Amino acid sequence: MHVQRVLRFIGILIFFLGASMAVPLLVSLVYKDGSTGALFYAMLITSGFGLLLFFATRRPSDTYLSHRDGVAIVTLGWLAAGLVGAIPFLLSGSIIHFTDAYFESISGFTTTGASILSDIENLPQGVLMWRSITQWFGGMGIIVLSIAILPFLGVGGMQLYKAEIPSPVVDKLKPRISDTAKTLWRVYISITALEILLLFGGGMPFFEAVCHTFCTMPTGGFSPKNASIAHYNSPYFDGVIILFMLLAGINFSLHYKLIKGDLRIFAKDPECRFFLTLVGIFVVVVTLNIHGTVYDSLGKAFRYAFFQVSSIITTTGFVTADYDKWPSFSQNLLLLCMFLGGMAGSTGGGMKTMRIMLLAKHAYQEIFRIIHPHAVTTVKLGGKAVPSDILSSIWGFFALYLGLFVVSALIMASLGLDLISAFASVAACIFNVGPGLGLVGPVSNYLTVPITGKWVLIFCMLLGRLEIYTVIVLLIPEYWRK
Amino acid sequence: MKIIIVGAGEVGYHIAQKLSEENQDVFLIDKDPEKIKRITDNLDVQAILGSGTSPEMLKTSGVREADMLVAATDSDEVNLFACLLAKILNPVILKVARVRSQEYLREKELFGQDLLAIDQIINPESVMVETIRNLMMVPGASDVIDFVDGRVKLIGITVKPDSPYAGRQLLSFKGMEGKVLVGAIVRGDHVFIPHGEDTIHANDLVYLVVRADELPSEFGFFNLNDREIRRVIIIGAGETGTALAQALDQTKLHVKIIDKDTQKCAALAEKLERVIVINGDGTDKTLLQEENVNDVDFMVAVTGDEESNVLISLLAKGLGAKKNITRINKLSYIPLVSAIGIDTVVSSRLSAIRAILQYIRQGKIISVAPLKGEHAEAIEAEALETSDIVNQPLSKVKFPKGALVGAVVRGEEIIIARGDTVIRPKDRLIIFALQKVVPKLEKLLTVKLDYF
Repeated sequence: MHVQRVLRFIGILIFFLGASMAVPLLVSLVYKDGSTGALFYAMLITSGFGLLLFFATRRPSDTYLSHRDGVAIVTLGWLAAGLVGAIPFLLSGSIIHFTDAYFESISGFTTTGASILSDIENLPQGVLMWRSITQWFGGMGIIVLSIAILPFLGVGGMQLYKAEIPSPVVDKLKPRISDTAKTLWRVYISITALEILLLFGGGMPFFEAVCHTFCTMPTGGFSPKNASIAHYNSPYFDGVIILFMLLAGINFSLHYKLIKGDLRIFAKDPECRFFLTLVGIFVVVVTLNIHGTVYDSLGKAFRYAFFQVSSIITTTGFVTADYDKWPSFSQNLLLLCMFLGGMAGSTGGGMKTMRIMLLAKHAYQEIFRIIHPHAVTTVKLGGKAVPSDILSSIWGFFALYLGLFVVSALIMASLGLDLISAFASVAACIFNVGPGLGLVGPVSNYLTVPITGKWVLIFCMLLGRLEIYTVIVLLIPEYWRK
Repeated sequence: MKIIIVGAGEVGYHIAQKLSEENQDVFLIDKDPEKIKRITDNLDVQAILGSGTSPEMLKTSGVREADMLVAATDSDEVNLFACLLAKILNPVILKVARVRSQEYLREKELFGQDLLAIDQIINPESVMVETIRNLMMVPGASDVIDFVDGRVKLIGITVKPDSPYAGRQLLSFKGMEGKVLVGAIVRGDHVFIPHGEDTIHANDLVYLVVRADELPSEFGFFNLNDREIRRVIIIGAGETGTALAQALDQTKLHVKIIDKDTQKCAALAEKLERVIVINGDGTDKTLLQEENVNDVDFMVAVTGDEESNVLISLLAKGLGAKKNITRINKLSYIPLVSAIGIDTVVSSRLSAIRAILQYIRQGKIISVAPLKGEHAEAIEAEALETSDIVNQPLSKVKFPKGALVGAVVRGEEIIIARGDTVIRPKDRLIIFALQKVVPKLEKLLTVKLDYF
């Protein structure tokens, strides 16, 4: 690992985050919400810290970054982003304890949306804006953003891109990585703009429309309202947000191809087809389950089922109904949705549909082999054979995911959480959903979780967003051996 | 520019690397998943797994919008067919093909407008033979590159520790101004474009620009061994060895060619007039002694096996051969072998890369040659009227750091550049530049910076 290069890059990253604090600063100036001074100092401290790191390190002679450097930059970069992201919360007095502020900030950047705040509406608008911005940056990725902006990365960018992109396979849209990153961000920004327009046009106040959009597109789930989307109780807003949550759960390369004129791409892509079919099935099943038991009208049942399933499977975590009161079958189904997650290459969390499909196909292939021991078979996705090293890496991923999940849930239980809460809190964090069940359910928050538990959950959120390998590799002694 | 490269072997890989470093959009097609993986890990290009001769594959890689197709696989047939397909799919695409078989090359109509319409054929073997012959003309040099049809030569010389020039500042070569110019110095792994204050160290590889007609008189200056060469031994009668032997057959040099394969030797003996064909093992010490290797001026080891070539050259050197030229394929070996006493290295891949890159450059850049060490290039370019570099003394031109004008060619006249040289529109320039400033340089050469 080239320490100087890693620190230098993180310095640039932090400086960018500091500079981006100008947006909440502006908001607080407009609303005169009293957080202007705090945000100004936060911006000063953050950009100053970034510049300090940048100037304290030597300029490397070339732009080479090894695979190890890439992993270190991404993981440490995210940790550092969480740190500076917490500064506005602390300085403005919105959150008093460091652990809580760091939890909120990491939950923002990892687009989890788990909050420790109980009275959100009382926060200054500037701080609310910053909270949404952390999610928006985290969705497409702060590293991918820097690859798009920094011209000098070259091949080094590829190592970073691979370490941050939430997908088992790296899909390059353009021959050059910086162009790929730029394209993805352009698509992301365009869809974001469209959603703001639709929400604002439907009568949502502009500030809230922006905040909600900034938390929909990255499938984050922070809301400036205490009751989340339920606050509005509007079928139109529910509909718009469902649409954009699903869009955010779809691979952004497909959006790019759609914009490029391939109108049937969602139907053609096998992963997308599978994802949308799953959503459809779950919505129908949950509707039938909650119709009659919780809601009298079928329309209402459908509306809440559709919203909640979309929100959980894309790992957004917006809430329109207290599903803690739903029948346990529906709750279990929602837990399953958390685990499944969005498509590879989307902003969603979870296992990702592509991995699920490949695991299922691979498992079937093994069964098939028992019947035809000499058959030559390959696992195919969309007519293309999937290399076996990708398959084995997915199995490894799956095992690690489950292992870490179980261990974390055990720790949570040892801290005194009940069974449902322990499992649900870890699931909600490691799959980047946000609200869980029980103690951390849709209408409560994470404030009451013990401090150790919060740090475990912070670790889980990072693991989930960076897809385990990138984070866990730094904890392996072999990594640090020269 | 959008460029499709077929074949991710060493040639394709290096061309892709160079072009991606210059921010071109590169698509690289190869059948081998291992190679594709290596490319995705190391290069900032779009690697596509598939066959370059599949129309479907070419379409996915966007051949219809591409500006150029470079067919650089090891198979001539694949390269030619890929070009043919590219022509059908996109009639205006530029096509560069690597073709090795002499038989194909003789059929000129094959490549003509009616059939394949290949814009540039690269035959690495013939480029390499050309390089070897060039090296023989300047026996003291370890690298020779021709510019402006050979009228300007770029000579790479390794400075021996006992050379009177080791340790001298460039400024102290007063009398040579306007005759010779040091354009680049390779020191270990590091290349730099020198200033007047820089000093030449022992073991540096120094690149000089000279006029071809002044070559003999400059030799003495740089302490080169200017004794005319007479005796040459070639080891290995493969494509390169044969082509070289045939080329030297018409000269007055005493040439021997050694090969293990009896049949190859017999076939060769029929073709050659004066060259002596010897059947035997080039690594056999007794054989080499028998053939008076100690009197040989040039020992050329060009067998297909690069490890043998290195050993043959070392052996011959130990036995008293004055100079050796060694063929290496793996580019990563090149810096290693110079360290163990190999004088000069040629590589068909390096030759192919040089030749293809020379063709690819856009704008008014006429040709390019990568210098040893790969991080610097010599560029031949035309000075445009609109460019900022014309009509003022060179010392006033704002060249990017790491670029230097070596020579100016104006019609028949060749000027080795000095601070007061003024470039006129339409002049051809020979510029030394570090790889990383090449894009900046391209800009400077083509557009005038306008400040409104």
